[in-house]
Amino acid sequence: MAADTHCPYCALQCAMTLTPTDAATPPGTTDAAGPPVTVAGRDFPTNRGGLCKKGWTSAELLAAPSRLTAPLVRDADGSLQETTWDAALDLVADRLRGIRAQHGADAVGVFGGGGLTNEKAYLLGKFARLALGTSRIDYNGRYCMSSAAAAGNRAFGIDRGLPFPLTDLDDATTILLLGTNVAETMPPFIGHLAGAQAAGGLVVVDPRRTATARLTDDGRGLHVQPAPGTDLVLLLGLIHVVIAERLVDEPYVADRTTGHAALRRSVAQWWPERVQSVTGVPAATVRALARRLAASERAYVLTGRGVEQHVDGTDTATAAINLALLLGLPGRPGSGYGTLTGQGNGQGGREHGQKCDQLPGYRKITDPSARAHVARVWGVDPEEIPGPGLPAIELLGSLGRPDGVRALLVHGSNLVVSSPNVAEVRRGIERLDLLVVCDFVRSETAALADVVLPVLQWAEEAGTMTNLEGRVIRRRPALAPPEGARDELWILHELARRLGSTARFDTDPEQVFEELRLVSEGGIADYSGIDYALLDSGAEAFWPFPRGSSGTPRLFADRFHHDDGLARLVAVAPRTGARPAPSPDELTLVTGRLLEHYQSGAQTRRVPELLDAQPDARAAIHPATAARLGIADDEPVEVANERGTVRCRARLTTDIRTDAVFLPFHYGDEQAANLLTSDAVDPISSMPEFKANLVRVTRLVEAGAGS
Amino acid sequence: MTPLRIVLIGYGPVGARFVEELLPAVRSGAVALTVVAGEPVEAYNRVLVAEYAVGNADLDAMLVGDRDTAEAAGAAVMLGVRATRIDRDARVVRLSTGEGLPYDRVVLATGSRANVPTLDGVDRPRRDLAALERHPATLVARDDELPAGVTALRDLDDARRVLDAVRGRRRIVVLGAGVLGLELALAAAHAGAQVCVVHHGPHPMPRNLDRGAGHVLRSAIRRTGITVIAHSRAEAIGFRTDDDGTRRFDMLVTADGKQVRGDLLVLSCGVSPRNELATLAGLRTATGVVVGPDLRSWSDPDVFAIGDCAQVVERTEETAGRRVLPGAPSGLIGPGWRQAEWLAAAFAAEATAPQEDGGHGPEGGLPEEREPIVMLKAEHVDVVAVGDVSADPWDDDALAPRRRVAQWADPEHLRYVKMVTEDGVLTGFASVGMPRTAAELTLLFERRAELPADRSLLLRFDGPDDDPSAGADAFAPDATVCWCNGVTVARIEDSAACGNTTVECVGRDTRAGTGCGGCRGRIADVLARAAASGAEEPDGAPSLA
Repeated sequence: MAADTHCPYCALQCAMTLTPTDAATPPGTTDAAGPPVTVAGRDFPTNRGGLCKKGWTSAELLAAPSRLTAPLVRDADGSLQETTWDAALDLVADRLRGIRAQHGADAVGVFGGGGLTNEKAYLLGKFARLALGTSRIDYNGRYCMSSAAAAGNRAFGIDRGLPFPLTDLDDATTILLLGTNVAETMPPFIGHLAGAQAAGGLVVVDPRRTATARLTDDGRGLHVQPAPGTDLVLLLGLIHVVIAERLVDEPYVADRTTGHAALRRSVAQWWPERVQSVTGVPAATVRALARRLAASERAYVLTGRGVEQHVDGTDTATAAINLALLLGLPGRPGSGYGTLTGQGNGQGGREHGQKCDQLPGYRKITDPSARAHVARVWGVDPEEIPGPGLPAIELLGSLGRPDGVRALLVHGSNLVVSSPNVAEVRRGIERLDLLVVCDFVRSETAALADVVLPVLQWAEEAGTMTNLEGRVIRRRPALAPPEGARDELWILHELARRLGSTARFDTDPEQVFEELRLVSEGGIADYSGIDYALLDSGAEAFWPFPRGSSGTPRLFADRFHHDDGLARLVAVAPRTGARPAPSPDELTLVTGRLLEHYQSGAQTRRVPELLDAQPDARAAIHPATAARLGIADDEPVEVANERGTVRCRARLTTDIRTDAVFLPFHYGDEQAANLLTSDAVDPISSMPEFKANLVRVTRLVEAGAGS
Repeated sequence: MTPLRIVLIGYGPVGARFVEELLPAVRSGAVALTVVAGEPVEAYNRVLVAEYAVGNADLDAMLVGDRDTAEAAGAAVMLGVRATRIDRDARVVRLSTGEGLPYDRVVLATGSRANVPTLDGVDRPRRDLAALERHPATLVARDDELPAGVTALRDLDDARRVLDAVRGRRRIVVLGAGVLGLELALAAAHAGAQVCVVHHGPHPMPRNLDRGAGHVLRSAIRRTGITVIAHSRAEAIGFRTDDDGTRRFDMLVTADGKQVRGDLLVLSCGVSPRNELATLAGLRTATGVVVGPDLRSWSDPDVFAIGDCAQVVERTEETAGRRVLPGAPSGLIGPGWRQAEWLAAAFAAEATAPQEDGGHGPEGGLPEEREPIVMLKAEHVDVVAVGDVSADPWDDDALAPRRRVAQWADPEHLRYVKMVTEDGVLTGFASVGMPRTAAELTLLFERRAELPADRSLLLRFDGPDDDPSAGADAFAPDATVCWCNGVTVARIEDSAACGNTTVECVGRDTRAGTGCGGCRGRIADVLARAAASGAEEPDGAPSLA
């Protein structure tokens, strides 16, 4: 039986059809003949039937030998041994009860993920607050979308990554891509850039000449290559030119925004020549780009992690929004601002209660009416719902500390690869009394766990995802899960039962979704009008989708989501000392992604075709810089700073600036780029600094060499 | 706790920044701030006055001050009120309104005024102590009256005079070829005025550029339609009498007898700090008000100066004894802003945590400023320079054995770069007509980074070969065709060799074209090329072209 579902990886959620290869083969068995399902692309607005290399090979992992098929518990010798589900769950429940009794409910923490289905993400938040009674829950979306989310909420009163269907981009004449390498991270996306390319209007801002930047070659647009960490100043310069040259959409700004005067004052000091001296982008380019954007009838400004994963990421995203608002883009047909959500359910995952300050429906956990509504649906007293917890970095910083978290449950996250300053995170994990990891492979984080609970993969489960457009879609099973693996909904149900919780934890995804509808009703992310039957009918479902409505493909046509209906222009400025200036012998480390790998690589490094193409981390360095440092192509190097050292090979390329080095963050152990990244965070979003850390690169002299 | 009373004299961009930074302390009640603004308008960014003068910017877009917020925080902002005297004995600032403002600290941010050169036909009053004491009403906090048709370009009134001429497409004579003069000349010419630049040096921007850069710049300016008259010292002004009886500018007469006729003469001969309050108060002045690295006057621990009027000189036994002091105010906004931030922070710290000994003001001092980078703000002429660029590649200077010079000159195409390094680190450069190169050099200079051994790498940023692969062979074996699936030309050719001769077949075999589909045309090209070469070389043997 073929199943129509969507890709397990990124937020584009390309549609695919999975057909079991041989119904006779018992599910989950290791079959040398190949994966148990075949993958075919399916027509859908985001991918139009196409898939990228990751999507095509996604089924490889279903029956891979590395798949976990029984719970693991660390034995007296310190090695992980298979056990039964009852034994594992009893152990976890016992330990949690003990830790809670001794240290209080907040001694138990939960770390979620942006890849979990809406149902799992929702139930995980409920589990933390009701079954565990802890406020200590946050998730890896803190590393992805938090800056853009904070900026969107501040400006628009709502955070839906793309407030319009992706296909709207097709007709654009100018698209400004800020810090996003879609050609590698979500390749089928680039089909939607063709219109702008044909109009010569694809503008890519990236310190690297990425595959996406190359899409601007041959007169199809412009690649702007600022020094890493200077995006905010570049945007302030663009805004300065738009204001100084009277390119502002005055009626729009007057009717639909507030804050114009303060914004105008704040950019008066960022004339293009001054911007040039900070960013390395010629003043003439700043002017030309501002004019191009203003002259375009159909223009879009889109941000990605490149500009958001900074200690000033919220302000940088805010500056991008300010630019779009001054040009009158948001809410005008054929133009707009958006942020490109990365993880598969990065959108839905940030709406339904995995965030430390949030309740389902994108409600604020501190808002008494929100608490009352959620408590009513959950059948509890509002007092029983804990208050706000700690954002990811603070949560991880508290591991094993006095009054900190002593037991951590991890779902859908490989946090010792994806967190900043991972050496510190590892030390925190070592201080824990209990680490429980739900995963389907032995990820670097699972390998450190006291208990590993094997869970299902995408092709084995039902649920919903919300893609980068805010479109709710169905995930459907194509085959039965392997014996020994369990749905996380079932695991939460069983643990809640063992912990004596009287709250409801359904194991059927559709039942969980029905509850999610009720809880989200009246919230910002209102799903109350959506059900499985509607989604199965093929109807498009963009939230907010209140009961009785037909959803909201396009936001902001008439008003923004603040009470007065106006968007906020928020004046922002670079903070002095936000990041240290590089000394002459330091390079700026930019971390990012490769086509072949997804996130921490826990999945894609186990797919032979993907691993063969990119088997290890390579530090990309400009040949001129390499010559100065005495490094030849393919030679082993050390990339180091006070936090740690990465050992890998060098790749010489003129695609990178001479003052920077690039490392993909998909690899573990001594190749983990996040050994070098700082856990300093944005003061508003708590986003860490992933994109501009200072390092020294040296040739690695191997032992025995040079004798 | 009584608040620290601070009086700020001057409300330009540096003064406005000082106010902004001090507001938290004002709001908390630790500081009582009064701003004596002088000009009757909100603080604006003077860097943009030339843009305003040619109609490229509105006043709105230039405003940096926020009087409403400052007043809401509790500061008093007195627009259009001038300070006429600092009475240091009484510790009171006297105002043009007759009032007096008692202070604990007074900060001079009076900026600078345009220099008026010695020209027959233009009065040029001195501002020494004797003159100031005789004519305080006309000389203190006031600029000189210039004849009709003659203007500097410093404030909004000046800019409006220029704007009238630009709008009327009249003939504008710019005296001086420094950065500000050239910016105005280029902007005015761009806006349609007829412009002539007269200067006495051998080439424009002589303080910043070497001969090569200067000559390339002159060619670039001339190509915009501006007349440039070099080697000409201005001597006198000729007047004509309008129908309404006003005597106004008619021509500039140079020492060698040239008569340059025009409707408006713009003086762009540099600026001088507005020192007169300090002079009258008996404070040490040189070019500007002399302050230490802590921005405190050498003569009075309660008086400070920031921005264009401040001359920072560290007081040592050696400097204290000198009659002529080194340095001068930079005249640039960046250092002024940093001074404003630093001093505001120091005052805030002092006011919120008073020292036990009742000591005076900030400790320590600002780090020394790096030599400022000069950039010409102009639409079609790109000039960036910093440092001493007078050395030539062939110089053999025993005094600078580690200095090296690299140079690229292409006057025909208006491109020029000179890079001066010491031990590989940039100490100065001049760039004309090479914007990307200049931008990269700017960053390298700021970071004191070593230049690549192959200096020509920096030139190539502005060349068509900037991206080595852009012009490269799109059919090179390792060129990527399908980004979604990472499929190269070689992989498609291999597939074709195995009999996959259509885009669909190749897609099934390699997945090329099965993502966004944008590369299907290129796959067809690769296949067509493979088919053609296959036909020519049936045995597949490599051929020598």
